[in-house]
Amino acid sequence: MNRDIENTEVSTNVSFFMALPAFVWLLIFLYIPLLVIIGLSFIRKGVISAWPDFTLSNYFTFFDSLYYSILVRSLLLAFVTMAVCLLCAYPIAYFLALYARRWKNMLLFLLALPFGVNFVILAYAWFFILEKNGLINSILTTLGIISTPIQLLNTEFAIYVGMIYCYLPFMVLPIYAVLEKLDLRLIDASLDLGATRFATFWRIILPQSMPGIQTGFFMVFIPSFGEYVIPALMGGGKYMYVGSLISHYFSVLRNLPLGSAFTVFSSIVLLIVSLIFYWRFRRAT
Amino acid sequence: MRNIRLEHVSKAFGDDIILDNLSLTIPSGSFFALLGPSGSGKTTLLRLIAGFDTVDSGQIYIGDRNITHVPINKRNINTVFQQYALFPHMNVFGNVAYGLRVKGVASDIIEQKVRRTLQKVHLERHIYKPIQQLSGGQQQRVALARAIINEPDVLLLDEPLAALDLKLREQMLVELIDLQSELKTTFVYVTHDQFEALTVADYMAIMNYDGEIEQVGTPKEIYEFPISSFVAKFVGSTNLFHGLLIEKNGGFAMDIPELGIFEVAVSERRKFEAGSSLLMSLRPEKIEINKEEQAGFANHLTGIVQAIIYYGRSTQYSVKLPNGFIVHVFEQNEEHFPHEVIDYDDVVHLYWQKENVVLLEK
Amino acid sequence: MSSRMSQYMLPFFVALMYFFLYIPIVVLVFFSFNKSISLFRWSGFSWRWYSEAWNDSTMWIALRNSLVVSFSAVVLSLIMGLLLVHYGRSFLEKTFFIFYGALIVPEIVLAVGLLSLFSFLSVPLGFTTLIAGHTILGLSYTVPIIYARFNELEYQLTEASLDLGATVWQTFYKVTLPLLTPAMIASGLLVFIVSLDDFIIAFFSASPSTQTLPLYIFNVIRSGASQSVSALSVILLLAGSFLILLLSSLKLKKLFSFGQ
Repeated sequence: MNRDIENTEVSTNVSFFMALPAFVWLLIFLYIPLLVIIGLSFIRKGVISAWPDFTLSNYFTFFDSLYYSILVRSLLLAFVTMAVCLLCAYPIAYFLALYARRWKNMLLFLLALPFGVNFVILAYAWFFILEKNGLINSILTTLGIISTPIQLLNTEFAIYVGMIYCYLPFMVLPIYAVLEKLDLRLIDASLDLGATRFATFWRIILPQSMPGIQTGFFMVFIPSFGEYVIPALMGGGKYMYVGSLISHYFSVLRNLPLGSAFTVFSSIVLLIVSLIFYWRFRRAT
Repeated sequence: MRNIRLEHVSKAFGDDIILDNLSLTIPSGSFFALLGPSGSGKTTLLRLIAGFDTVDSGQIYIGDRNITHVPINKRNINTVFQQYALFPHMNVFGNVAYGLRVKGVASDIIEQKVRRTLQKVHLERHIYKPIQQLSGGQQQRVALARAIINEPDVLLLDEPLAALDLKLREQMLVELIDLQSELKTTFVYVTHDQFEALTVADYMAIMNYDGEIEQVGTPKEIYEFPISSFVAKFVGSTNLFHGLLIEKNGGFAMDIPELGIFEVAVSERRKFEAGSSLLMSLRPEKIEINKEEQAGFANHLTGIVQAIIYYGRSTQYSVKLPNGFIVHVFEQNEEHFPHEVIDYDDVVHLYWQKENVVLLEK
Repeated sequence: MSSRMSQYMLPFFVALMYFFLYIPIVVLVFFSFNKSISLFRWSGFSWRWYSEAWNDSTMWIALRNSLVVSFSAVVLSLIMGLLLVHYGRSFLEKTFFIFYGALIVPEIVLAVGLLSLFSFLSVPLGFTTLIAGHTILGLSYTVPIIYARFNELEYQLTEASLDLGATVWQTFYKVTLPLLTPAMIASGLLVFIVSLDDFIIAFFSASPSTQTLPLYIFNVIRSGASQSVSALSVILLLAGSFLILLLSSLKLKKLFSFGQ
């Protein structure tokens, strides 16, 4: 029953054209590029002008242990980031939603604040802490725990720290949003029926917060898989992840077909893994 | 004469057929009530008149003007919505003046008209208040003022009093009646509450669950002479008996299995033939209930009192007949100290006149 | 474990987390005032890096570029989103999910997709390509937010307006627009922040002459002359916090506005 605009003097045609720009924009700058990538992935390098010869050979390049290790490394990064973020974020969200009363708004604001700061800067801020002469090493040496500074920056450890740091708020907010709307009477009912606090948490609160965790999955796992900047900055470019390799193909090697193929290839891997997760989630709820 | 005429109007949403080949004439200048249960399509009908939805087939006329395909904003019809739909970002003045503002009326005229209209709905003192500060009843009146200030040909009201409490509703009904007779605009009032409909209407139409109009007439016609058992049951309440029409003593009677033969008066409006299988509708207030036997009534039943409900000004008795059938009787509490007190399990005698039943086919 | 202790465990953990969250920021601010060029040894208070940043013309160009791109992206995505929601309601109901596309696809895929498209069509990289890409991001914020708010509004308000004789345009201007303003401001601000922050699309869609701020910072860090950006970082930190403050104060207002 929401066709009132059409029942007025504005013809359906005008409405159509007014609403069109958004669709067209989306089509041209989001969906067509995706198609272009898929299309390019089937082209042999160098032949873009004439009707190109299509081939699957680009994809065959990737059935190699080198690429497998890159994919696995990225999956591991995404998974660990997601897992650690979840473990750290859940208590924070829980606390904010169910306990903090006076400070809730303040704490939420503080949580969101890093979001407004360019995350290149945030990653860079970690330099000060992880560097050979940085905060951690200075503290450890002063306390006499170590004698020579440890190499913390430009390691995989640094990458993981950076990832977790940047993605933590993205995990907290969805879970918080769900917990905030939780009907507290459910907890009362559970306790009234004789359950312990822990059982209440496990059987009532946790399942109810699943939608938030799912959203967190989308906001953390998927972007982490394709992350380029943080490994580049924190790892000093020493480690190859999916994001780094894609960037390498496109900006350094300028090999669009191969780069596109790898993008599609790794996207499919991501899709499969995500679907597996999704099904496991489904069964858990 | 600016009657509203719907001719062979059909409307479906997807596979759901709401209205099918419906025709209706709403007399100009009347307070017309559209009564029906939820889901009967009465709101759809209203929306078609307003223009929010368009008919699949059929025509709608106001006077001579065919408005079937005229856009909403050009029909000169205004609506009072069930949830008021007041513009939250404007105050009372802004809401009421809206219809005039969009037509570019001069602001001094607008001011004048707004004040006058607010007087009509007794809200002059709240003229600049933000609408969030008003009570439900006051918001209702703002919605009303906003509509009537445009002096439309027709005013549509979609269950406008549904959100108000009983006392307020009764008050508003009277105010609406006064307003309508003052403005002489055609009011089309949609409701599922028969009390409201009976109170305000000059004419009313009853719609059933299938989106058909069962009967159109004055409230009295509809109440006293319903055409079908649906109308008889929906407007007011009634006792229905299934039986055979027979001739008796030069007149007619209903042969009702297990209960007996009861004299009836066949009205001039609906002629039935002897031998027809019919329903006899007997309204509870038309039955006399006594513990002692009375004389002078052609029709008589005995039973045992099962339930008594006290309504203040009347009492309802549920009386169980020998065949198990339950008859409801209303008695007005005329006396402080009734000469006869009827109690549970009492044996009572029920009497009624033969003119006080209505015969129905279905 | 006594319940007293477990009662304090949670707040303690949360405090620890916040500490973790803010250490880098505190350290950053601290060292931006460091006199010496060494990153990590404190040698006295100085405004040096701030004045260097002030005098760095490349930085100003990058800032200007960022602002131009972000403003354009905000304006474009707001206008298109608004028109879509008002005029295209019946389309949107069925096709809403396609606007989530940009959020589901990893940003790097988006970025290289755009790059490929532009190479394919031989479009020179620069402002246009950047704005195009950022507007896509913008649409995936403005459309859902404005659409959600639009749906919350009683749809009968539009009907009431038309019923009272207003044209579609008048309805839009007098009723829909005022009521959507909070949602527009909130989503506009969000798009602005996201666009300003964006690195990956800019990385692939920008040319050397249209370097945005994140790109500039990244390059400086990579080239090793990191100290000079520390002052800039602090300023951006303050600006970013201000924007977040604005956004969160708006959110509260949005909930309060107009009851119902």
